[in-house]
Amino acid sequence: MKQSHELLGRLLTAGIALSATCLGVGLILAYIDRARGLPNGPHPLLDAGLIILMVTPFVRVLVSLSEEIRDHNWFFASMTLIVIAVLCVTLWTAMRAA
Amino acid sequence: MRIIASPAVVLIVMAAGAAAGGLGALLGIGGGVFLVPFLNLVVGLPFLSAAGISLMTVLATSSAVSARSSGRQLINLRLGMVLGVATVTGAFAGSLTVGMLADRQLQRLFAIVTAGIALLMLTRLDRRNVILDPTVDPGALGGRYHEQESGGEVTYRIRRLPLGLGVSFVAGVLSILLGIGGGILKVPALNALCGVPMRAAAATSAFMIGVTALAGALKYYVRGDIRPELAAAAVLGVLAGSRAGFWIGDRARAKGLKALMALVLGGVALIYFFK
Repeated sequence: MKQSHELLGRLLTAGIALSATCLGVGLILAYIDRARGLPNGPHPLLDAGLIILMVTPFVRVLVSLSEEIRDHNWFFASMTLIVIAVLCVTLWTAMRAA
Repeated sequence: MRIIASPAVVLIVMAAGAAAGGLGALLGIGGGVFLVPFLNLVVGLPFLSAAGISLMTVLATSSAVSARSSGRQLINLRLGMVLGVATVTGAFAGSLTVGMLADRQLQRLFAIVTAGIALLMLTRLDRRNVILDPTVDPGALGGRYHEQESGGEVTYRIRRLPLGLGVSFVAGVLSILLGIGGGILKVPALNALCGVPMRAAAATSAFMIGVTALAGALKYYVRGDIRPELAAAAVLGVLAGSRAGFWIGDRARAKGLKALMALVLGGVALIYFFK
């Protein structure tokens, strides 16, 4: 159990670091373009950073699911699976409405 | 192509993010409850845009807080997953109504929610939920952790689970509509109603919030409400601020934290009521 806690901790730290790097660099590049008078808009790295930010907790839930399955905790595995299913439905309805 | 905000606005949003993140980390909540009113009232963004940006920062804080408390057994993963089903279902329900309410209605709702939580916190200042006998069975959903303040092993049992599920569902709905993590509802509820000690409640809630905020962030992102450069500034500010908050949080007492939280929430509610 302790091992899985450490794995989850490292995963979250890596996700945050990667996202923050994309957001920071994207922000700087966007304002360099702006200062040079280039046609500017949000830099693609900004979107990449935001998407990584959203993917991180999702991966975390997937890792939890695999842990519960490995440990044969079927009740908690099904709880986790329901959470994943509802998230997928939310994304699907959001994309359909947009 | 859309023009990006001026550097001054970006710096202001970053500073606001740092302040919100600091307070949020200190209180075990995402900080969105401070950031939304700021972005909405001071920076002048529409409520939906403020809510979307705030949910992005809530995602960042949730992951950062969870990463930090991973090794400390504070997160009750099982309780988090069971309540997570309720909260994510609420989040889905909330996501269907995004864009249907006017800014004024959302602001009123925001004021009511924050005022209610402030009152709840104030009435519970002196309650402790821990059982100091390490041999007590915590039950299927309860937990045990090492408490730094007293230096002892602490055990707790879960009471009134159905109530916890109900609050988690409502927190999920409000999280999406108001752009807050919902920790502001779940932490006091887990603490006051379900018997989870404050620090474990905060850590477990931070874990659930990641999932709730994800549902909301997806919705606002797909809708195009989130301005990427402002979201980036807010997220970076929040990450920096929450580090400072953690540092202070380790040195503060639980009772002081609750009183501070109630005070800040009361202020936010007053501003939205009398705006």
